[in-house]
Amino acid sequence: MQRMAGTLSYFSAIIGGIVLLALTLLTCVSIMGRALSGLLPDAGFGPIFGDYEIVEAAIAFSIFCFLPLCQFTAGHATVDIFTNALSRPINRALLALWETAMALASALILWRLYVGMLGKFNNGETSFLLQFPTWWAYAACVLPAAILVFVTIWSASDRFIALLTGKDQRGPIAGATH
Amino acid sequence: MTAIELGLWSLPVLLGMIFLRAPIGLAMLLCGLGGMWLITGSPNMMMSKLKSEVFSTFSSYSLSIIPIFLLMGHFAGISGMSRSLFKAAEAWLGHYKGGTAMAAIGASAGFGSICGSSLATAATMGQVALPELRRAGYSGGLSTATLAAGGTLGILIPPSVVLVIYAMLTEQNIAKLFLAAFVPGLLAALGYLLVIAIYVRLFPNSATSMPRMPLRQRFGAIIDVWPVMIIFIAVVGGIYTGVFTPTEGASVGAVGTGLVAWASGQLNLAKLQEAILATASGTAMIFFIVLGASFFNAFLALSQVPQTISGYVVAQGFAPFTVLAIILVLYLLLGCLMDSLSMILLTIPIFFPVMLSLDFGMSQEHMAIWFGILVLIAVEVGMITPPVGMNLFVINSMDRDTPIKETYKAVVYFVASDLVRIVVLVVFPSITLFLIP
Repeated sequence: MQRMAGTLSYFSAIIGGIVLLALTLLTCVSIMGRALSGLLPDAGFGPIFGDYEIVEAAIAFSIFCFLPLCQFTAGHATVDIFTNALSRPINRALLALWETAMALASALILWRLYVGMLGKFNNGETSFLLQFPTWWAYAACVLPAAILVFVTIWSASDRFIALLTGKDQRGPIAGATH
Repeated sequence: MTAIELGLWSLPVLLGMIFLRAPIGLAMLLCGLGGMWLITGSPNMMMSKLKSEVFSTFSSYSLSIIPIFLLMGHFAGISGMSRSLFKAAEAWLGHYKGGTAMAAIGASAGFGSICGSSLATAATMGQVALPELRRAGYSGGLSTATLAAGGTLGILIPPSVVLVIYAMLTEQNIAKLFLAAFVPGLLAALGYLLVIAIYVRLFPNSATSMPRMPLRQRFGAIIDVWPVMIIFIAVVGGIYTGVFTPTEGASVGAVGTGLVAWASGQLNLAKLQEAILATASGTAMIFFIVLGASFFNAFLALSQVPQTISGYVVAQGFAPFTVLAIILVLYLLLGCLMDSLSMILLTIPIFFPVMLSLDFGMSQEHMAIWFGILVLIAVEVGMITPPVGMNLFVINSMDRDTPIKETYKAVVYFVASDLVRIVVLVVFPSITLFLIP
């Protein structure tokens, strides 16, 4: 299960990263098109139509894709100065508690995202310029959100094993990174 | 319980969860959802909010700048620009006593102009400058403290991830905030140079100096840093003049930095993968906090706590500058415990309405920008305050021979310079605002 969680979060992050890279390139191409259309008005250059909408839809997908990795590597921001003073078993119990809460919250997010997608599907909402159905963007996020749920469940069960056996499988935190 | 009471009680509950090591984003999310449920008496509101709010928080054009800036910073880290910046700064400053440490500050400032993150700047410059400082005979304390303090320039000098979040929370123009941060950022770098000059006079054995370089070599070293200058001018200049939106500016910067990294021959597939994974982790961490904060702040707004607190402050008739001083001291204290983004997301929705309700003798927009820069500096001091400043740990862990106590002892001088700078910027708002129309 650990290997699967690791592999899934790794590939998810890489795919999100490739989408992010593609977005930066698309934005640059759009800027160039805009600049060229100013210089050579009749040559048929122009910004990419609806580039903002593409960025908004795709960046949400990227971020959903990034979440499992942060969970897998225990990269979320925490304050550990107080808990460092507590004993190891108490720390293990706290970790198990929070990671269970994280798994429940992720499952809730996945469920509501899915319901939200159905809502957008039924009301036929489309984006303003490109007219693509809004539910597409929601649907794209469902898979990475499901991966997040899987990784959080693995993570919580791993912490419970540590709590019961008294052996830590991995460190509690990676620390804040900004 | 009334809505107000619920809102007020949520704050100690939230802090309690955070101090028991709940991930900060999770704690805010749970408090926000639970609070909405309790206030409205049914789960309907939070459930329907969850349907669209998670997606729309992540699907924000203005916040898309954050992952792109992170990517740009990681590309910059592998491009070798940090080394050419350090060499250029050393060519100009190296012959002063403590000059190599001064060069590390100068290079950190330069790197900060293309990197929006404090830890990334500290870590990148640390790898380049720390071995050189130690080889040149600088004390471990001065070397590590210099680089930890230099790291904060990464976030003070635009672009800055913290300012992007502040702009979102207070609905301010990000371009103006970047511009306003520029002079205070340079003052920070000058202050650190001064600290080093004083430190090496107090402790003459802590530093050395190098032979003076001929002018021709100095200018040669400057030419090597042209990619950094061009990227900085294109990104920040382009955003400010309105040629680009901030996201477009960041994209240009990321692609430009990526090209420089590729041209330098450092950007192979393994490094690209490393940059993507680091960007992914950093982005996920930030957006998870943003997500939690968006629910917690929606709950706070529902409970009317922010209005009540600012109403109270006005009714008491406290002097505006007293209130500002208290807020800044709170940030300095909280900064010893918490990372800067969480702190800003947690407190700005409460403090900003208070600031808006007070009269500082300037327009609301100017006040918002000035306050933003002050908060930015106050929270960044937290990155280098003992005992838990993150930059201190990152740099100290790179230097096995230096006990963390040595780093603590030396960094106190840099913290002092930060505090002096905050006071100066509070007393003279025009230092921050003179560039803003």
